[in-house]
Amino acid sequence: MVFWHLRNGRERFRNFLGKFVQRKEFEAASEALAAGKGDLTDPKQRITESEAIEQAKQGQEAAFEVLYHLHKRRVYSLCLRMVSNPAQAEDLAQEAFLQLFRKIGTFRGESAFSTWLHRMTVNVVLMQLRKKGLPVVSLEETLEADDEAPRKEFGTKDLKLTGSIDRLQLQRAIDRLPPGYRTVFVLHDVEGFEHNEIAQIVGCSIGNSKSQLHKARLKLRDYLKFMRAEKAKTG
Amino acid sequence: MTCLEVQRALPEFLDDAPDVAIQTDFEAHLKSCPDCSDLVSDLKLISSEARQLATSEEPAPRVWARIAADLRAEGLIREPESARPILVPTSPRRRWSAWWLAPVAAALVAAGSYVVNHRPAPQVAKQQAPAAPVTSPAVTPPAPETPAVASHSVPIPAPQEVAEKSKPTDIVGSSAGPAAGSAMAPAIEPEPSAEDQQFLSAVSTLAPSTRATYESQLQAVNADIRESQAYLDRNPGDPEARQHLMDAYQQKALLYQIALDRIQ
Repeated sequence: MVFWHLRNGRERFRNFLGKFVQRKEFEAASEALAAGKGDLTDPKQRITESEAIEQAKQGQEAAFEVLYHLHKRRVYSLCLRMVSNPAQAEDLAQEAFLQLFRKIGTFRGESAFSTWLHRMTVNVVLMQLRKKGLPVVSLEETLEADDEAPRKEFGTKDLKLTGSIDRLQLQRAIDRLPPGYRTVFVLHDVEGFEHNEIAQIVGCSIGNSKSQLHKARLKLRDYLKFMRAEKAKTG
Repeated sequence: MTCLEVQRALPEFLDDAPDVAIQTDFEAHLKSCPDCSDLVSDLKLISSEARQLATSEEPAPRVWARIAADLRAEGLIREPESARPILVPTSPRRRWSAWWLAPVAAALVAAGSYVVNHRPAPQVAKQQAPAAPVTSPAVTPPAPETPAVASHSVPIPAPQEVAEKSKPTDIVGSSAGPAAGSAMAPAIEPEPSAEDQQFLSAVSTLAPSTRATYESQLQAVNADIRESQAYLDRNPGDPEARQHLMDAYQQKALLYQIALDRIQ
């Protein structure tokens, strides 16, 4: 009887130690990710995300933190690109993660966790834009007048865009886009959504989504050339 | 194709799979029209560069702090269930360097091994030279200058190595010697020993949930040691009982080792 108790207690202790070491790995993974040393290509970290999801369902703070650090850049970058305001982007990112964590108990793994979070973030941002009365997507579908003639080049022809784009200038140019163009451009070219997905998300037609994207790219090209011309003038 | 036709066909050309005939005409026009060729190249470049922006921004640390606070407020973060700490460090809170954990961990294993291997069986004891009168083993942290268990001279066994060693004498080796023997005198009391108090003081700097985990596990492993010791006292010739006691010491050493890794 005593032996059974001894063995049983030891086994329980060993099981707990195993979980405790696992938790230590959680915390180490969380710290590594916070320090920017996370690597999703590392099989160990992939296992860590799955385990983090299960542990988050149990309410473990370290697990929530691992998931946050794994996806924070993607979520925040998306919010920032869509609203062009860091403080607002932080609020939106916070809300997106909170909604995710509230619903994590319902995640069954049918889709990738990142996809689920991605969609949730987009919905949070679009809801915010709609609340503020900002146009999510331009409703125009007809061709504009200047579409009847070949595009006029903006700025000097000698400053070709081809070859290099300053990332900071591209960010600034995106910020200057009208909200409708910006939404579609960010969802398609930055975040990788397809037109049929964008149409479903924002509530427009596929044709409208393609049209908005094309116009967004043309405007960005104009902005970038203008910035380059200005920079060339000032030296 | 004219320039206007090319510009109208651009969305299809850039993002969709264009009709073969259209693509042929399209590419033929690009070869002869530098303006349209530049336009297509620029739009492709903008699209490809934009993809790099997907993870280009890092939120401020306050974002996570706010999320964690909200999660706690909503009860989504559950603190692990652990008994209220019974073993409360009584010594003033100090910043302990963790160097002492390493030799103590090794000494625990060594002490356990000494107790297990030098405890005579009843029928054998009469025939052997009198063994050291050990009532119950205990370990006090050796002074740093003790050569046998100086922190830099004793190889700290990895938890796996400690668990896997089947011959306790291998662990003792030459690393314990008289230091372990001298550490045998005091008995393990239910109240926290001096090294346990130091351990608790060291982990008191950790997050509350983590600290509580260490405290409860220390309590559990000490209880394990006491039970194993008590059983061995009643059945001194039982090799399995000896092994159980040895295992318990190894587990305590493992706990110290984990704390050492955490604190460092």
